[in-house]
Amino acid sequence: MTAVAISGAALIPVPTVLPLLGSPFWIDVVAEILIWSLLAASVNLLLGYVGLLSFGQALYFGVGMYGAALSVIHWGAGFWGGLAVGVVAAMIMAAIAGSVAVRLTWHYFAIITVVFSLILYFAAMSAKPITGGDDGISFSVPDVVSLGGLKLSLADQSVQYYTILLVVAGFYGLFSIIVRSPLGVRFMAVRENDRRAALVGINVYVTRYVAFVLAGALAGASGALFAFFGRYASASYMFYHVSGEAVVWAIVGGAGSLLGPLFGTGLLIVFREVISTFWEHYLFVVGAITVLVVMFAPRGLAGAWNDALQVLRRSKDAGTSDTTASSGEQDLAKSTTDATRGGSGA
Amino acid sequence: MDRGPKGLFRSLRIRAIDTGGFVSGLVLALAVNGLVWGLIIALIALGLSIIFGLLDIINVAHGDFFMLGTVVALVLATSTGSYWLALLLVPVIGLGVGLILERVIIRPTIRQASLTIVTTFGLSMMLQEGVRATYGAQPRRMAAPIEGTIPLFGIDYDVYRIFAAAFATLCLIAFFLFLTRTKLGTWIRAVRHDPETATALGVPVARICAITFGLGTAMALLGGAIAAPITTVEFRTGVDILPFCFMAVIIGGLGNLQGTVAAALLLAVMEGLVTSVTDPTIARIVSLGFMSVVLLVRPHGLFSGATR
Repeated sequence: MTAVAISGAALIPVPTVLPLLGSPFWIDVVAEILIWSLLAASVNLLLGYVGLLSFGQALYFGVGMYGAALSVIHWGAGFWGGLAVGVVAAMIMAAIAGSVAVRLTWHYFAIITVVFSLILYFAAMSAKPITGGDDGISFSVPDVVSLGGLKLSLADQSVQYYTILLVVAGFYGLFSIIVRSPLGVRFMAVRENDRRAALVGINVYVTRYVAFVLAGALAGASGALFAFFGRYASASYMFYHVSGEAVVWAIVGGAGSLLGPLFGTGLLIVFREVISTFWEHYLFVVGAITVLVVMFAPRGLAGAWNDALQVLRRSKDAGTSDTTASSGEQDLAKSTTDATRGGSGA
Repeated sequence: MDRGPKGLFRSLRIRAIDTGGFVSGLVLALAVNGLVWGLIIALIALGLSIIFGLLDIINVAHGDFFMLGTVVALVLATSTGSYWLALLLVPVIGLGVGLILERVIIRPTIRQASLTIVTTFGLSMMLQEGVRATYGAQPRRMAAPIEGTIPLFGIDYDVYRIFAAAFATLCLIAFFLFLTRTKLGTWIRAVRHDPETATALGVPVARICAITFGLGTAMALLGGAIAAPITTVEFRTGVDILPFCFMAVIIGGLGNLQGTVAAALLLAVMEGLVTSVTDPTIARIVSLGFMSVVLLVRPHGLFSGATR
């Protein structure tokens, strides 16, 4: 809860505070972080909560992107309509691919998800009349709200930022409701030990399938938002390197914690923006960070943060014997122990 | 950003059309071309397969080891003036690189078995950017060390490609002989089969794992050195080759070495033939579809039941 409160407090005043610091450019960077963090969250839902490592989430990102772009271009859909089409299209795609993919686990699951994303990537690349292939298709973005005299357009940077924040926060809200619901408990039971979960009456296949479709929705929302943000859709975003980056963000942030991937995405995108201005080979450092995180902090930032909190709390306990930790810290502790098990379970 | 499976078959196709094109000759030549690539890819995929079989690692950086092989071969050949010296040195360098990487990156993270795919993805980024920063982003071509063409099914076929196929075949035979006829090879098979018993019998398992990773890396770099004169040399070629190697390993059955070789040949010839009627992208989609079917129907490979 504290983490949610902190992120909320940090994200809401962004469009008013950042220009005061001299750069409206960074508003767009924060917006981009929010969008991409949903893709990382979709990896996180599968890896951190159900124990499946997907290397193909870029496929659903791409489908969400084209769902939004094509519905605006061909059907004249508005912002919310386009977003809905993108999310639903990604869920349908995930429902189709998932029906076979979730029959497999670990290595095989990772490979089949990459294979599906590669097939659709090549298909989208060659279907140039529809997708625009590598160059993509651009479109002019519709109004967010158009009620009588009230018109809110994404052309206004602040409107765009708050629209994105609203949608992203909505999806995080849904995510948190789901993982706390009985369904979320089933997710974790399957992650911990699928055989035992099956013995207590959980349908492992259906549980994984539901998670896969929900993860598709998150990736689709991310893609649809990115289409509106960039005013275009391109098949190149369906390549497996995009999936790989999302996995990196989720793991650096800490898979298995609700907001870990948001921080992971934020850290690496800010890092990219800062470093790339004076060194074009920043990806080398990103690769090194990835390796180092797996080596020294396999539970990511969230795990490291939680370890630090525990050390702090233990020393406090020793000093004052004050054992009443705030409920927020307990939440964080709980979610990061989940992450531990998610990372080591296989 | 166009990273389709271009390059592999295109150059030959254009030349075949130039010569007036007997259709059957063209089809046969594309099949032969597929076979040449299949043999080189078999060598690279075999490296991927032994690493997986022994260490249980999905090495996403394997394609970049191949890329490193093409780049090092080009750099060595231009600086020493001899391609043959480069061909000799590249696998040795590969073995060294593999041993170092195993010690520094793989061994400390192998406990996180599920995350090795992430570690190697990070390694892949480092290799690509490292090469881009030092060697440059410009794609280059390497002159074939053996000039000339011979007539084959009515078209002129590069002599070097024939040599590459023969040399890759020799390397494959040498590898299987090494695995079955030497003490080290026997140890590698023992550790693959049953690490606990191997440890109990005094086989240095940790060292065998390191050597296997080094060997797998060396095979990918060697494949790169062989392929350097017939492909473009740039920091991204690994991205094209990786899916193909994975398809070979999966269709052959994860860890099944003979199966990997057979699958690499089958896939490459199949792509060559499909390319003769449509474009390479469709050919790649066909093989990926084929692979998904194999993965779902026979998850242990097309040749499961053969010796592991």
